[in-house]
Amino acid sequence: MTTMTEHAWQALKGVNAETATFPARASFEGEGIVVFRTKDGYRGTQRACPHMQATMLNGELTANDTMVRCPLHVFTFKLSDGKGVNCAGFRIKVYEVRREGETLYARPAAI
Amino acid sequence: MTAKQETTVLKGAHVIDPANGIDQVTDIMIHEGRIAGVGEHIIADDATVVDLTGKYLSPGWIDMHVHAYGTLGFADPDTVGVYQGVTSFVEAGGPGIGTLDEFFALMTDLETDLYVGPFIRPLGLLGLNFIEGDVRTLGDVPITRWVDTAKQHRDRIRYIKCNAMGDYGPGTLHVTKGLAQILGVPLYMHIGEFQLQTPDPVLAYEAFKIAEKGDMITHIYHGNLGQIIDDEGKIMPVVTDALERGVLFDLGFGGYNFSWDIAEKAFAQGIVPYTISSDLQQFNVIRPVQSLANVLSVMMHLGMPLKQLIECVTVNSAKAISLADRAGDLSVGKPADITVFEIEGGRFELMDCYTQTRTADKRVMPAMTFKNGKRFDADMTRGQAESNWFLQIAEDHIPDATAQLSERQLAFLGKLGTALSETDWELSSAERLDIPKALELQALFHRVREQSDLPLREALRAVYDSFVDNKFTMQIGLFLMRLERPFALSRMAEMAAKRPHLAA
Ligand code: FES
Repeated sequence: MTTMTEHAWQALKGVNAETATFPARASFEGEGIVVFRTKDGYRGTQRACPHMQATMLNGELTANDTMVRCPLHVFTFKLSDGKGVNCAGFRIKVYEVRREGETLYARPAAI
Repeated sequence: MTAKQETTVLKGAHVIDPANGIDQVTDIMIHEGRIAGVGEHIIADDATVVDLTGKYLSPGWIDMHVHAYGTLGFADPDTVGVYQGVTSFVEAGGPGIGTLDEFFALMTDLETDLYVGPFIRPLGLLGLNFIEGDVRTLGDVPITRWVDTAKQHRDRIRYIKCNAMGDYGPGTLHVTKGLAQILGVPLYMHIGEFQLQTPDPVLAYEAFKIAEKGDMITHIYHGNLGQIIDDEGKIMPVVTDALERGVLFDLGFGGYNFSWDIAEKAFAQGIVPYTISSDLQQFNVIRPVQSLANVLSVMMHLGMPLKQLIECVTVNSAKAISLADRAGDLSVGKPADITVFEIEGGRFELMDCYTQTRTADKRVMPAMTFKNGKRFDADMTRGQAESNWFLQIAEDHIPDATAQLSERQLAFLGKLGTALSETDWELSSAERLDIPKALELQALFHRVREQSDLPLREALRAVYDSFVDNKFTMQIGLFLMRLERPFALSRMAEMAAKRPHLAA
């Protein structure tokens, strides 16, 4: 599977999957991201809300864990493709995340 | 109806009616939707008696800055109206001259009296705050159309709104001021920058210079660029000058526009709002605004006495927008618009729009509202329901409301889809919005609607109900542009195919 996509999986720095509390801060290729624990596993997003840069660490999962909502002005984004739901035109970067033991691996979601 | 239902006596509340100098426990009689008496120990045969001992009672609150319609509006605006102690409110800028027809067609079934302060931009507020300050989004100011529309809807248009922000200088404020003068209504200006540029000059100060007696400036305690205090925390001279000229300051709490720090410093120097408004909208009803009552609690914590708080949401707002003939006091003969509330004790965290909170030991909590004598029990949770503020396109299902669409509405959707298939559009981005395209889609919608001979409201509802579960509204051009084109076309075709004679 991984060979089919542009981006290879990368181990996330700064987060231990066993001890972390989610949403967790992590770093992907030097960029701050946030990892959410969803019903189906894990999903990552960029750290800063594209609206006014509030931290997505305070983001709330909603719609059966298919969306994430910034608490500051409730801009809500789809975890599948990062598109703004109630804020057309705004978009957040999303990452596929999987776990092996203590390590989380991520890559930008194919959209 | 029996006489009993037509007469209600509200007994034992502490009545605060600043316009009539009442601040004491007394009774109020309502008859046929109007105030019929104020005084101690009113007894009326056959009246419904409501015991309000221990509660406060005031004229119905007026919120002169809400977003009931459009890109920032609610599915059910009454949730932040009569259900939260507010008997009249003003839509602050949702529509402009190009979309007022949509506003009037749609906003008809409310229990709360809804007035409007149209925006200088024909489309109204865009809901994309990075570009609200871009002068190139403003488009035309069709004077003739403004004059004719204002004449036709004089009763509902209460001010003209513009945003004092952006990097093109104060010209738009002068243009809006000129329009307000032509129409004979006050100018209502937003201050505080939140777009991407750093403008020079900062238009907030230009707003204070341009405003005349009776004009209004909202968001006076905002903490963005263009604050009313300088680096040392002192009130800027342009602000005090404006106040002395009779310019009216409005609170406009909002999601971006209230800072505890600024408020405390300004309040200590005597800069207090003349009117208190909420700026409630989709994006701030959960937090931090919640309700006008919460904003009153904030002002109470700041140190404003109760009587003055009530003045700011009754007689003052009525005067500011010329509603004193029908609202703002409890004089006999006036419509029975009444708010009953309590001052609750406890520990309450009051948020501003940034990261600051203050802990208060009391708060204002509405108990019930009377609108033209009709009683509504307060419900502070229904405004917070996701269905009221989370506008989501129903991509994976057809909304239930489509079952009510008439054959003509379904046929209209088919024609609209066909017409739309001849043009192309893309979703906006946060920094760029294709205004000419939105106007083109709007014009196309109207052309098809006229050909179909469908009333505006029915045509608008046909579109909204095909794509959104709850009763949201939005400027039609902006709404169509928000839809992904292939999806929009296929949904409209699907709706057209539902026509009974085709299905049969
Ligand atoms: S900063 Fe996230 S919604 Fe405004």
